[in-house]
Amino acid sequence: MEKKLMKGCEAIGEAAICAGARLFFGYPITPQNEIPEYLSSRMPQVGGTFVQAESEVAASNMLYGASGAGKRVITSSSSPGISLMGEALSYMAGAELPAVIVSIMRAGPGLGGILPSQSDYFQATKGGGHGDYRVMVLAPETVQEAVDHTIKAFDYADKYRNPVIILADGILGQMMEPVTFPEPVRPEDLPEKPWATTGAKGRERNIVNSLYLNPDVLEERNWQLVKKYEAMREDVEFDTYHLDDEVDVMIVAYGTVARIARTAVDTMREQGMRVGLFRPVTVYPFPSDALAEAADKAGAVLTSELSTGQMLEDVKAAIAGKRPVEFFGRVGGNLMAPEEIVEQVTALMERQGRSVA
Amino acid sequence: MPTVHVEKDRCKGCELCTRVCPEQALGMSEKINAKGYFYPVAKEADKCTGCRRCVLMCPDEAIQVEVKGKRTAPPEALTGAPLHYCPGCTHGVIHSLIGDAIDHLGIREKTVGIAPVGCSVLAYNYFNVDMQQASHGRALALATGIKRGRPDLAVFTYQGDGDLASIGMAETVHAANRGEKVTAIFVNNAIYGMTGGQMAPTTLPGQITSTTRAGRDVKHAGEPIRMVELLNELQTPAYLTRVSVHDPKHILAARKAIRKAFKYQMDGVCFSLVEILSTCPTGWGQTPHDACGWVVDKMTPYFPLGDKKVPEAA
Ligand SMILES: Cc1ncc(C[n+]2csc(CCOP(=O)(O)OP(=O)(O)O)c2C)c(N)n1
Repeated sequence: MEKKLMKGCEAIGEAAICAGARLFFGYPITPQNEIPEYLSSRMPQVGGTFVQAESEVAASNMLYGASGAGKRVITSSSSPGISLMGEALSYMAGAELPAVIVSIMRAGPGLGGILPSQSDYFQATKGGGHGDYRVMVLAPETVQEAVDHTIKAFDYADKYRNPVIILADGILGQMMEPVTFPEPVRPEDLPEKPWATTGAKGRERNIVNSLYLNPDVLEERNWQLVKKYEAMREDVEFDTYHLDDEVDVMIVAYGTVARIARTAVDTMREQGMRVGLFRPVTVYPFPSDALAEAADKAGAVLTSELSTGQMLEDVKAAIAGKRPVEFFGRVGGNLMAPEEIVEQVTALMERQGRSVA
Repeated sequence: MPTVHVEKDRCKGCELCTRVCPEQALGMSEKINAKGYFYPVAKEADKCTGCRRCVLMCPDEAIQVEVKGKRTAPPEALTGAPLHYCPGCTHGVIHSLIGDAIDHLGIREKTVGIAPVGCSVLAYNYFNVDMQQASHGRALALATGIKRGRPDLAVFTYQGDGDLASIGMAETVHAANRGEKVTAIFVNNAIYGMTGGQMAPTTLPGQITSTTRAGRDVKHAGEPIRMVELLNELQTPAYLTRVSVHDPKHILAARKAIRKAFKYQMDGVCFSLVEILSTCPTGWGQTPHDACGWVVDKMTPYFPLGDKKVPEAA
């Protein structure tokens, strides 16, 4: 397969086309503008449609409409924009509509800043909109993985009839790396969606809806959705680095921070320190069981994020007090250097009374 | 001789049919129906000329008229499910007109309708076509998504004034400005019906609502918004018109406008918006008959009827 050097955002755009998406609706916001810019010219080349919407509220509701009409569809945005998509996310989850939403996180709260961050982990994994719903969330670490995740996201969205979020930060969006693409999916080869509003010809009419005024019916539906969210565990993904044997400290990190942590692990391994990395790849569903199992072989856990401690809550819940869990975060758009992680791990080991080789 | 058929248990006793009968052939029953309402009966059946005004005016599809063996029938594009609207509310009349347009153009099997949030939130139960239910105000964003994905479908939105002109103002203006080839049916009843009669963007100056208890004070609340006129400022071609359904004559004009609005999108001509002055007897605190009078006396001076923009070469 031919390798191409591509920017993360553009690669995500191309991956959407590769997955058979022919509709993009979005609104500009830094640091993800390269996705709409790329698709504004690329979509028409493949007979697709690009619409610059009047807002993220509108863009995400266009997604609802198009998805309801049976089409593969994608949008992308960044933190304040994803906040505005909370409404449509909730409605799409309620009406069980597949869609792919790329969230390129920037620092918050409020207008915050435009530099990379992971402070929208809660927003992605715990809701973002109202009501008891979940969306699948994939957190790529490399541009190649961003491509693979985008393509997979469409399959998961269709499989579960649910929105799927690609959760990344500005670094991944802006970074150039060599990527390969699989054989593109032809939209006409995608399976029919018998529930979609495509015109009631020769069948009962279809209704795309999230309104259930009868509390018993809605309760039943809520529990049905929970079953679906639980079924998503089948597709949980994680990655480990130097965790085959026992470690004194296991670092837990995802996305860009996992890249930094890998370098830190390499440095520490060279110094003879027993350190490894656990990387959640799906952050919803969270790889809780695998993480708990890995923690059994670790003395202590250090969660590192570009937030003040969001994934930390899932890590703590998974480990359930069996091991000490500590946290190291940088925020505001700042990154941690690998050396900072080394320092944090060293200090943690000393606190734990473990020799630093 | 024409015969009036009343499906009595659909009737909510609004008496609009008896009021529009030019021959006073209809009167109200002595007994109540299953719902607890008095219903129309052809008291002086021999006076009926078969003019069908009662059929047009009935908001509940409860009356059909048979003339020389030919009987009127509710549109195929409606499911026939009993409507949940309050007695005398003209949402039901507008539903029938949309059903008529879909039947007229023979597009039932390729139409997708969008129900709003408002009194007509359950519209998906009534239109016998594929339907999507939208979040409050976003119907035209959904419509954009559907139409861009499936340009071959006929897509219409059904929206109240709070939905289309307040929370959904941005979606409305931009869908119109992009010239989306969809049809927006805009029901202006000058009030928020569903939430209990609060001020709408179209509430008239001085009009009493549950959030303007002394009447709308334009010094603080601004003037009512005329959507058709506002959209007319856009340079994009469109069909923009305002009609009313307070009497059979105007219902016929509304029917024509709605048919046209669907035709324009099927021909790929332009965006269309049909603003329909509609009654809210409950929210206004009036009888259905008085509410129709209020549309004429109070609404039409501020919201003038007629075409505002017609696409060129149409
Ligand atoms: C985001 C959101 N805000 C508010 C509401 C509450 N709400 C439901 S219907 C409605 C007003 C509807 O009024 P209108 O569009 O004029 O339609 P009508 O009920 O008069 O037919 C409001 C404010 C809601 N459902 N969602």
